[in-house]
Amino acid sequence: MKESPEQVIDRSAKLVVSFFVASAGLWLLAAALLAYIVAAKLTDPFFLSGIEYLTYGKVKIAQANAFVYGWGGNSIFAATLWIIARLSQAEVRGRIFLLFAGTLWNLGITAGLLGILDGKMNAHELLEMPTEVWPVLFIGYSIIAFLALVIHRSREHSSTIAPQWFILSSLLWFPALFLIAWNGLELNPARGTLQTVLSMWFGQSLIWLWLTPMALGAAYYVIPAIMGIVIDKYYLAIFGFWCIAALAPWSVLNHLVGGPVPMWIPAVGTVMSIAMIFPIAVASTNFHATAFKDVGKVWNSLPLRFVIFGTLSYTLSSYIGVIFSLPAVAKLTQFSIINEFHFNQRVYGFFSMIIFGVVYHMLPKITGREIGTGSKTFHFWTSAAGVMMLLLAYLIGGLTHGVLAQQPSLDWASSVISSVQPYFLITKIAFVILGFSQLVFVINVWKVIFPNPLAYILDGSPERKEKSA
Amino acid sequence: MDNIFKFAAGIFTTLGFAWLAFVVGAKMQYGALSPEAEMLEDDGSRPVDAELYPKALSGLAQQGGEDYQALGCMTCHTQQVRLVEAGFDVERGWGKRPSVPRDYVMQKNVLLGNTRVGPDLANLGMREYSDEWLHRHLFEPQALVPDSLCPPSPFLYVVSEEEKDGSIEIPATDEEVSRFVRPSFRARGIVSYLQSLQQDYELPEMSFIEVENEVEELVVDKPADGNASSAGVPDWLARQISSGKEIYMKAAPGGGLCFSCHQPTGLGLPGQFPPLAGSDWVLGDKERLIKISINGLMGEIEVNGVKYNNVMAPPGIPPGSLTDSQIADVLTYIRNEWGNSASAVSASEVAVVRAATKDRAAMQMWTAAELSSSSQPAP
Ligand code: HEC
Ligand code: HEC
Repeated sequence: MKESPEQVIDRSAKLVVSFFVASAGLWLLAAALLAYIVAAKLTDPFFLSGIEYLTYGKVKIAQANAFVYGWGGNSIFAATLWIIARLSQAEVRGRIFLLFAGTLWNLGITAGLLGILDGKMNAHELLEMPTEVWPVLFIGYSIIAFLALVIHRSREHSSTIAPQWFILSSLLWFPALFLIAWNGLELNPARGTLQTVLSMWFGQSLIWLWLTPMALGAAYYVIPAIMGIVIDKYYLAIFGFWCIAALAPWSVLNHLVGGPVPMWIPAVGTVMSIAMIFPIAVASTNFHATAFKDVGKVWNSLPLRFVIFGTLSYTLSSYIGVIFSLPAVAKLTQFSIINEFHFNQRVYGFFSMIIFGVVYHMLPKITGREIGTGSKTFHFWTSAAGVMMLLLAYLIGGLTHGVLAQQPSLDWASSVISSVQPYFLITKIAFVILGFSQLVFVINVWKVIFPNPLAYILDGSPERKEKSA
Repeated sequence: MDNIFKFAAGIFTTLGFAWLAFVVGAKMQYGALSPEAEMLEDDGSRPVDAELYPKALSGLAQQGGEDYQALGCMTCHTQQVRLVEAGFDVERGWGKRPSVPRDYVMQKNVLLGNTRVGPDLANLGMREYSDEWLHRHLFEPQALVPDSLCPPSPFLYVVSEEEKDGSIEIPATDEEVSRFVRPSFRARGIVSYLQSLQQDYELPEMSFIEVENEVEELVVDKPADGNASSAGVPDWLARQISSGKEIYMKAAPGGGLCFSCHQPTGLGLPGQFPPLAGSDWVLGDKERLIKISINGLMGEIEVNGVKYNNVMAPPGIPPGSLTDSQIADVLTYIRNEWGNSASAVSASEVAVVRAATKDRAAMQMWTAAELSSSSQPAP
C-alpha cells in the first residue's frame, strides 16, 4: 500500500513526538501534584511543614518551573516539530539527536527541580533552577531548535504563513531571552534592583514571547485544518504578529510601579500594555470570526473545542490584563494574588488548553489510533470547570486582597489575609479537579502511545512490529 | 518574511530595542549607584567623615539571606516600600520612607518580591522584635499569631521538653505543652538577616515621610479635653480607640466591664476603685500595664498619690478571656481618653508579654511589689 505524503511525515515524527508528548504528560502530573501541595499549605500551614524539602516557597517555585519548562517545553517541542514538518511537507530528520536533546532537557529539569527542593534555588523569575543545569538545558534546546529549523529550511514551498511565523519566532526568542538574562544575571551580574528589572523582564517575556506565540501559531494551524476553511481576515495576521513582536517585550514591567526602580520603567510598561489591545484584537478576530462560521463543527470536534476555549481565554485574559495595568487599578491589585490569576490564565486557560487540542488532533494521525470520545469529553469539562473555578477564585480573591491591603488600619493577618483565606480553599478544590482532569489526559495520551505496554516491553518497539507486519 | 535569516533579523531587532532600554539603558542610568551620606552639603559634596548608607550586611546575616532565599520566603514577602502615590505602605507603618534603588546596592541577591501574602519585610529590623520573638515566629508563627499563614520551620531547631542552655521557650497552647527549642546556625543566620532589614537612614534622594511621626505627635499633643475621634487622628488609631471604648463599656461576653469599677468618667470610686485618668499605671510602662490586663492586680498600690488596697481579677467576661487585640484596643483607649495621651498598644506587643509570662497561672494576680522588682519571684 502506498502511503500518502502526510503519512510519511507523520511516521517520521512518530517516535519523537510521542516521546515529547509522553514526557510532557508526566510533567503535567508532577506540576499538578505540586500545585495541590502549595494550595494545601495555604489552607493549613502545618501541612507537611516538618519536611524541609517541601517548604511552601520551594514547592511553589518548583511547581511553576515544572509547569513552564516540563509541560510547556516538552509540549512545545512536540507541537513545533509536527506542525513545522507538516507545513514544510518535509520529514522529521535527525531523530536520534532529537531524542538525545529531549533526554538532556528532561534530565536537566529533573535535576533543576530537585536542586530547588534541596535549597539551591536562584531568586530570578523562572530562572530559579540552579545555575549548573542551565547549560545542559540550553544545549538540549539548541539541538531541537536547530533541527526544527532544518526541517523548515527543507520546505517545499518557499512562502510562509502565519503559524510558521509564530512558531518559529517562539523557537528563536527563547534562546535570545535566555542569553540576555544569563549574561546580565550570571556572567556579568547586575547590581541592586537592576537584577529585578532584568529577571522580571525575562520571566514575563518568557510567557509573552515563548508560550504565547507557540499557542497562537498552533491555533492558526489547527483551526483551519479541522474546519476545512481559511482563516477569516487573514491579511490582518501579519499586522498582529509584528505588533506582538514590537510591543510585547516592552509591556511586561508595569508590575514594578511605585517600586525602587526608575519611574520610566513601569510607566513604559503601562503604556505598552494598553497598546497590546491591537494584536489581541487581531488574533481574536481571526480565530473567532473563523470559528463562528460553523459553530456546530467547533462544538463537535473536541480538539477544536479545546483550542477555541484557549483562544477565547486568551482574548479575555489579555483584555483583563490591560485593565489591570491601568494605574488606578494597578495600585489596588499590585502584590495581591491577582498575580496568580494572570499566570494561571495564561499558562492554563490559554496555553495548555490549546496544547490539549493540538495533542488530541495530532496523536491519532501520528499513531493511527483514536482516543475515546468519552474520556476526552470528561477531560474537557473537568478542565474547563477547574480552570474557571481557579481563575474566579484568584480574581475575586485578588481584588479582595488588594482592596483590603490598601486600608492601613486593618490588621494584616487577622483582617486582610483571613478575608482571602476562603479563596485559597476554593483554589485547593480547583487544583484537585484539575489534577483528575490531567490524569485523564495523560492516560488518554499514554494509551495511544503505548497501546500495550507489556507487549511493548516484551517484543521491542511497536515500530518494528508494524514494519514486520 | 519568507527568508528565515531576514525573519530572524526582524524579530531579534524588535526584541533588541526593549533590551537596549531595560538592560543597557537602565544600567547606564543607575548601574553605578554606590552608598552615600544621609545628607550632602549645599554644593553637592559629601561631608567629611559622614557615615555612608546602606551598610554591608554582617557575615551571619548574609548567610541568613541565602537561607531565606533557599526556603523561598520571598514568595510571600516583598521587600519594597512603595512610593506614597502608589500605595499605603508608609501609612501601614512598613517603613519611614519609600525604598529607592540605592537601598539595594549592597545586597547580593535582591529579593523585591511581587506578592504580599505576608507583610512587607523591607524594614522588619525597625519593628523592634526581640531575637527571641523572631525565633519563636520562625519556629512556629502560629504560637504567636493565631491563624498565621506564615509556614513554620521546625527543621531549623532542636526541640526538647526541658530547658537547656540557650534554648527558647515556645509557650503552651491548647493542644501542646510548652516546648524548648535551640536555634541552629541557620536559624540564627535568618534572624540576624531579618534584623538587618532596615532602611532607617535618609538619603539625598529620599527623606523620611512624616506620616508615622504625625501619629505619635497627634497623640502626644492633643489638647487636654482631646476627643479620640477628633479630626487628624489616623484611621487605624481612631478605629482602635473606638473599638477599645466599646470593650471598656461592654457588659457581655467579649467585653471588659471596666466601666463598672473605673466608671465611664475614668475617675474610679474613692477608696474602692482607682482612677485611670492621669494614672501613671496607665500612661507609664506599657509592659506593666499589659501584665495587669492579662492577669489582674491585687494588694496595696498607689495611684496619683492615693493608696488603694483591693483586688482586680483578670479583666474580661469571663475573667482573663480578653484576646491580645482586645487588650491592645482597650489599653489604647484608656491611654487616650479623659485627657490621657500616650502611644497606642498593638496586639503584637500584648502577644510578646503574654508569651513571656506564660508560666503564670491564669488567676495569679500581680502585686505592686512584684511588678516594681520583676526579677524577684512572686511571694
Ligand atoms: C505562605 C506565605 C508565607 C511564606 C512562604 C512566609 N511567610 Fe512570613 N508571614 C506570612 C504571613 C501571612 C504573615 C503575617 C502573620 C504573622 O505575623 O505571622 C507573616 C509574617 C512574618 C513575619 C512577621 C512580620 C511582622 O511584621 O510581624 C516574619 C518575621 C516572617 N513572616 C518571616 C518569614 C520567613 C523568615 C519566611 C521564610 C522561612 C516566611 N516568613 C515565609 C506569610 C508567609
Ligand atoms: C471588678 C472591678 C474592676 C473591673 C471590672 C476592672 N478593674 Fe481595673 N482595677 C480594679 C481595682 C480594684 C484596681 C486596684 C487593684 C489594687 O488595689 O491592687 C484596679 C486597677 C486597675 C489599674 C491600675 C491602677 C490605675 O488606676 O491606674 C488599671 C490600669 C486598670 N485597673 C485597668 C482596667 C481595665 C482596662 C479594665 C477593663 C478591661 C478594668 N481595669 C476592669 C477594679 C476593676
